[in-house]
Amino acid sequence: MAGKSGREISITSNKSALSRVLSWEGALVLIFIAVNILGVILSENYTAANVLRQMPRYLAEIFILFPMGYILILADIDISVGSIVCLSATMACFAGNAGLPFPVVILVCLLVGLICGAINGAILAKFTELPSMIVTLATQIIFRGIAEMSMGSGGTVSYTNSADLIPLTTMVGPFPISFFGVVIAAVIFIVVLSKTTFGRKLYAIGSNKTAAYYAGIKVEKIRFIVFSLAGLMSGFCALVLLSVLFSANTTTGQGFEMEVIAMAVFGGIATTGGKGNLVGGFIAAFIIVCLRVALGLINMNTQLILVIIGLMLIIAVLMPGISQRIKTMKKMAKQS
Amino acid sequence: MKKRIVALLMCTAMVTSMIVGCGSGSSDSSSDASSSDDSAATTEDSGEAKDISDCTFAIVPKSAGNPFNEAEAKGFQEAIEAAGAECIVSYPEQATADAQITVLQSLISQGVDSISVAANDENALQATLQQAMDAGIKVSCFDSKTNADSRQVFVNQADTELIGQTLMDAVYDITGGEGQWAILSATSQAANQNAWIEAMQNVMEGDEKYANLELVDIVYGDDEPQPSTEQTQALLQNYPDLKLICAPTTVGINAAAKVLQDQNSDVKITGLGMPSEMEAYVGEDNVCPYFYLWNPIDLGELAAYTAMALVSGDITGAAGDTFDAGDMENSPYTVVDASDGGTEIILGEPFEFNPDNIAEWADVF
Repeated sequence: MAGKSGREISITSNKSALSRVLSWEGALVLIFIAVNILGVILSENYTAANVLRQMPRYLAEIFILFPMGYILILADIDISVGSIVCLSATMACFAGNAGLPFPVVILVCLLVGLICGAINGAILAKFTELPSMIVTLATQIIFRGIAEMSMGSGGTVSYTNSADLIPLTTMVGPFPISFFGVVIAAVIFIVVLSKTTFGRKLYAIGSNKTAAYYAGIKVEKIRFIVFSLAGLMSGFCALVLLSVLFSANTTTGQGFEMEVIAMAVFGGIATTGGKGNLVGGFIAAFIIVCLRVALGLINMNTQLILVIIGLMLIIAVLMPGISQRIKTMKKMAKQS
Repeated sequence: MKKRIVALLMCTAMVTSMIVGCGSGSSDSSSDASSSDDSAATTEDSGEAKDISDCTFAIVPKSAGNPFNEAEAKGFQEAIEAAGAECIVSYPEQATADAQITVLQSLISQGVDSISVAANDENALQATLQQAMDAGIKVSCFDSKTNADSRQVFVNQADTELIGQTLMDAVYDITGGEGQWAILSATSQAANQNAWIEAMQNVMEGDEKYANLELVDIVYGDDEPQPSTEQTQALLQNYPDLKLICAPTTVGINAAAKVLQDQNSDVKITGLGMPSEMEAYVGEDNVCPYFYLWNPIDLGELAAYTAMALVSGDITGAAGDTFDAGDMENSPYTVVDASDGGTEIILGEPFEFNPDNIAEWADVF
């Protein structure tokens, strides 16, 4: 299925051990190892304990990576997730401050996310002619606007009963508890994408929406589900973020959508749809996180870190084109 | 198969370029090898008096690219390095609490001895800063405070009430005591901005003298030139009878002054600004009769002396502690109780910049 890119999709399962290592995912693992070696060389403070302790803020983002991968595979995009995170976190703070028990607060947080996602999904399923970029741009502004209005002029709301959030910050050995949440989510999302008909339908829609429709796939229903899922996972993200921030403000979650899309694209998921898988995205996420931690430890200028990540992204998306060109040149040379 | 080998080659190139990038990047910070040695020392003899010159002091300003923040960092760095200690200046990638947390976590990992932070959000840094204090790091704030639980002491540029009173006096004086005026602030969650605005409102409500002044709107320019310009234009459009805009933010006052001058407006501007940026707008017949600020270099310097006093054990951050701050004007300084339940150190009164002294100060900062 649509394997013309240099970044192969692993749907085709007849791969030798060598080709597995040399696939894009294999390359990502090597980069991951390289980044960690780099970290150890750069700073003696780059230890497992320190990296894992700095991780929760980034782990929050990775929760959104999985549904975002689905959305990109559908050839759609959702740039409202950052605002959904902001709104969910805000509402959770209000719920907690109103004295509701913590399980209810969690429910509020997830439900707000789910509703926001469902709104995106419903609009897109109902008005199929609208591009998802524009719809989610609008809801991005709306969701953050609602959050800002409810926060009032101060623009910030803190979770006063912070004892509630302490369980979310516990460490199991050196691992923050949210790390396990991310791993569980990863397993579920990866298995659903690669082993179920639902996953195959996503690829089918992303490759050719019209063909998928005529093949009997309920395209709009699936888009609705996937966008709702993105909302729900934004709720999870908000929850983890709350355990780091203990508060929400008008800039909470700002730019998350782009960081998550960057992780997905670096992981080999094409924004044109139908290509890539979440394993790559998952590894790519940790590459970016480890790189940021490592460069942060040598107090590199934070803007420069962003420049480096941007460069990596450009190289990653250029790679299939370059290798394709080299391949055709080779073929031409052979023919002459 | 070939393309995969190419892919691998590209990866190698990427990693190499990263290392090259790091090499050039690390030059703008202090060497990290010595800082980690310090951290080992810190954990061994915490509680005892320490030799300042072996310690590492970190400063986390609000954002990069803001001349005021850079002047603060400069004052801090000079004072720390004059004492022979290591200084790390870590700007967050955005002016948000999220970005500051990333930077703070990294400093905790590096085991610095002291962190001085100008908070982008009053509450959001609490968990991280408490983690830092648990790790034996001395935490102080300057410029914009965190809540009382997340800090040992706050280096306040000026008493909040005093700023409120000073600005209200300016508003009264320039408008002649009556008419419409508006406030142009930074971001809506900036703790210091909100405290000053609240202080101004309290002053206004507390005295009959201000009864004829009407505060028509408070707008937020996010401390960036473009939104500040747009907000100013909107104010002029929405309130044709507006007499004055008060912008207690350096970015806002500069952007607003430019709009007023460009439009040849009769509306006046005052507030808190940088002399070097405001020089073109100050004057009797110009858009800005006078404005205020404290010296950010002094503020950074006092933050540095505070951090050093905390690390050396001279002060603990409790009210009543006193310490020497080198050759600074008001030295020795005393820690006093702050209105939020924590403690603070106050730099001094806001300084008035007017047509008589602006040229002289414009060269300084």
